Amino acid sequence: MQIPTGKALARQIEELSGQVVSDCYQCGCCTAGCPIGEDMDPPPSKAIRLLQLDRADELLKSSGIWMCASCLVCGTRCPRAVDYARIAEACRAIILRSRQSKVDPDTVTAPELEEIPQQAFIASFRKFSV
Amino acid sequence: MKYVYYPGCTLYTKAKSLDACARKAAARVGFELEEMPSWNCCGAIYNTGSDDLAAQVGPVRNLAKASQLGEKLVTLCAACHNVLKRVDDRLYAQGNEVERDRLIAFVDEKYERRVQVMHYLEVLKNDIGFDKVKEKVTKPLAGLKVASYYGCLMVRPKEVLQFDDPENPQVMDDLMRALGAEPTAFDFKAECCGGYLVVNRRDVAANASKRIIDNARARGAEAIVTTCPLCQYNLDKLRAVTSDAVPMFYFTQLLGLAVGLAPEELGFDVNSFDPVPFLKAKGLL
Repeated sequence: MQIPTGKALARQIEELSGQVVSDCYQCGCCTAGCPIGEDMDPPPSKAIRLLQLDRADELLKSSGIWMCASCLVCGTRCPRAVDYARIAEACRAIILRSRQSKVDPDTVTAPELEEIPQQAFIASFRKFSV
Repeated sequence: MKYVYYPGCTLYTKAKSLDACARKAAARVGFELEEMPSWNCCGAIYNTGSDDLAAQVGPVRNLAKASQLGEKLVTLCAACHNVLKRVDDRLYAQGNEVERDRLIAFVDEKYERRVQVMHYLEVLKNDIGFDKVKEKVTKPLAGLKVASYYGCLMVRPKEVLQFDDPENPQVMDDLMRALGAEPTAFDFKAECCGGYLVVNRRDVAANASKRIIDNARARGAEAIVTTCPLCQYNLDKLRAVTSDAVPMFYFTQLLGLAVGLAPEELGFDVNSFDPVPFLKAKGLL
């Protein structure tokens, strides 16, 4: 599947996520509460700002969208009911649907398979792999 | 009282003690978990995409199968609970009738009616009552200062889970109090452990988990209880185990201990940090 650019990409992200990015007034509660915020570039509020500024292409290339653990603190605390976890998931879905994975299941080692609960693998592959 | 029970994959392999203690403790407390036959993986995580129907099929099949067997479907694993609850909510979301019909028509099990997806803790709280649970306690966990860690999946999204306050949940604290323990208030009860990021970013999950344990300890907790195999794994295994490490339990292990299950039934051998000396020192074993 071809990845759209510019406004078409922003529209697709909004459609897939069911979120309206213009609702966000940049208070920063999402970023403040994000448990991964310090490792997430851009953090939620900045990512939404990129969409507001028609810079969706930059967000799609970022590492931040692959750092979300879907804990939903951002959306739960948002006073404008914008759910960034859904936006990040929509961005990832667009990339995954173009057949590019972030996590390759073949790289999981035998000791990891032995030890880590399988719910983590299934969740990780669902969020990060084709 | 008998409930349809969905254990999920992880409870069959890496979280056996979460499951075994729950089944045995239920019998002591006065209800029965009847495992549904031919259940399938719930998908482990809810997919939020508005057009992502394929990811909903597995959970819908479980809901359909359960609907043939009873009115209430009980879960234990926080991830299974979250997925089944959210998919059920999605089926009945306003304006979603076409999607619902498509999904229900697609699965190979007859969908009889909407079932109520309940977590084991909700059975204890709402159907049995913590006062009744307290009556069944034969070994009060006196003097045990325990932090209840809920993580994300039990409490968010709050309007769907309708489980507890997403910022300061209390259900497990109340259960621990009923068991005679002393619940410890702490700041990261519902903070994320890093979840599935452990697969490709173990460092990030380790940081998130460390913050949770450090805060619980700073607030005086001697032990931590969880409801989720992945929270348990991240908190327990991503830390450096030192001589003063805090033991981690599934809430069902402490429930089982308090209602009189034998030590060998509690599955402590799967804990990475053996809690037996700790419990002996507290006079609880």
